[in-house]
Amino acid sequence: MAGPDFEKIVADYYAQLYQFAFSLAREEAEACDLTQQTFCIWAAKGHQLRDTSKVKTWLFTTLYREFLGARRRQNRFPQVELDSVTEALPVILPPDVNRLDSAQLLDALGRLDESHRVPVALFYLQDYSYNEIAEILEIPLGTVKSRLVRGLAKLHELLTDKIKS
Amino acid sequence: MNRDEGKQILLLYRNPADAQDPQIAEALELAKADTELSRWFENHCAVQNALREKFRAIEIPVALKEQIVSEQISNMKAKARREKFVAAGAITMIVAVLMVFGISYYSDHSKGRPPAPTLANYESDMLYYARPGYGMDLATNDLAQIKDHFTQTAAPADYILPAPLAQAAATGCAVKDWNGAKVSMICFATGRPLPQGLPGDLWLFVVDRAAVTDAPDSATPQISKINNVTVATWTENGKMYLLGVQGDEAMLRKYL
Repeated sequence: MAGPDFEKIVADYYAQLYQFAFSLAREEAEACDLTQQTFCIWAAKGHQLRDTSKVKTWLFTTLYREFLGARRRQNRFPQVELDSVTEALPVILPPDVNRLDSAQLLDALGRLDESHRVPVALFYLQDYSYNEIAEILEIPLGTVKSRLVRGLAKLHELLTDKIKS
Repeated sequence: MNRDEGKQILLLYRNPADAQDPQIAEALELAKADTELSRWFENHCAVQNALREKFRAIEIPVALKEQIVSEQISNMKAKARREKFVAAGAITMIVAVLMVFGISYYSDHSKGRPPAPTLANYESDMLYYARPGYGMDLATNDLAQIKDHFTQTAAPADYILPAPLAQAAATGCAVKDWNGAKVSMICFATGRPLPQGLPGDLWLFVVDRAAVTDAPDSATPQISKINNVTVATWTENGKMYLLGVQGDEAMLRKYL
């Protein structure tokens, strides 16, 4: 498949997929590869998808699986384990956020444990519903919420440290 | 639900759609009644929006879309080339297999198929029977016995020997089958020393004229040379005669 349908799907989703891939891999080259590979798989297997409304979810799920596969092969991503939700949530103000750039945000995101980083990335980047995030990550809805709460709390904590420094 | 629990739940809030979640809806209700939580929530929404904008500001590499599409077109062309190559290989393989089977079939059937009933084939096959070491059904110099043998074996027996040949020394006879027709073979010796393993050096073959499509019509012998054998062929009373001798025409004519 490389006809108009394929080009339209690429045009509709490549940017979102790339941003998601970049939030996972934190390297432009690898993010490009993941995005490219995702569309290659779509070209080969996309016709098997009966429900066309699920194209976007299918693409994100595929990209995530590819990322996990690559990560298993490389195992080179540093992780920071989360112990528990911080008792008192740090207070960040909008002007503080505006002083940060995207690279600093991504650096903070990258310091999260992967199980928390991925739902947080989908949460911010795509406005996916919790059900959709659960579908993409293939985990229960309750797990999505708990990981999001922990991940967001830790992210705020890391951003607070950056703002202070 | 207390204030801290409300804050943790409201961390998940992004837009009014999220209010459909029962837990978030409960936390939102709590925020309406709790001024501090309400202020925290207001700040949280502003921070969330700012963060979302920052995340979405991740730059997309220039021409990534074009690269994806062109890569796919390239993959498709490569795949098409592979498929053509595979198809060509398969066709070549099929043709090769058919050729092998065809050659084998043709070869097998050629071997089993009788030769065309032409005079040339008849001459060639009869002289092949007369190669050194050939066997005879009956070794005798009695022409009457030989004729009896042919009669008993349903081979042509009503032949007429040229007078000089009837005077030659017979050594025996054999019956051959050629294209479904019986051939009477009578062996003679010219009197010259015979090579070892050769019971005669002069042979007469008699077959029904109908067995050979281009048998000579004339009763007058036609002389020809096949390798070192001189042969004469003629037809008489519905029988075709072939007389061969190891020697020249003069030698042959002594028996015609």
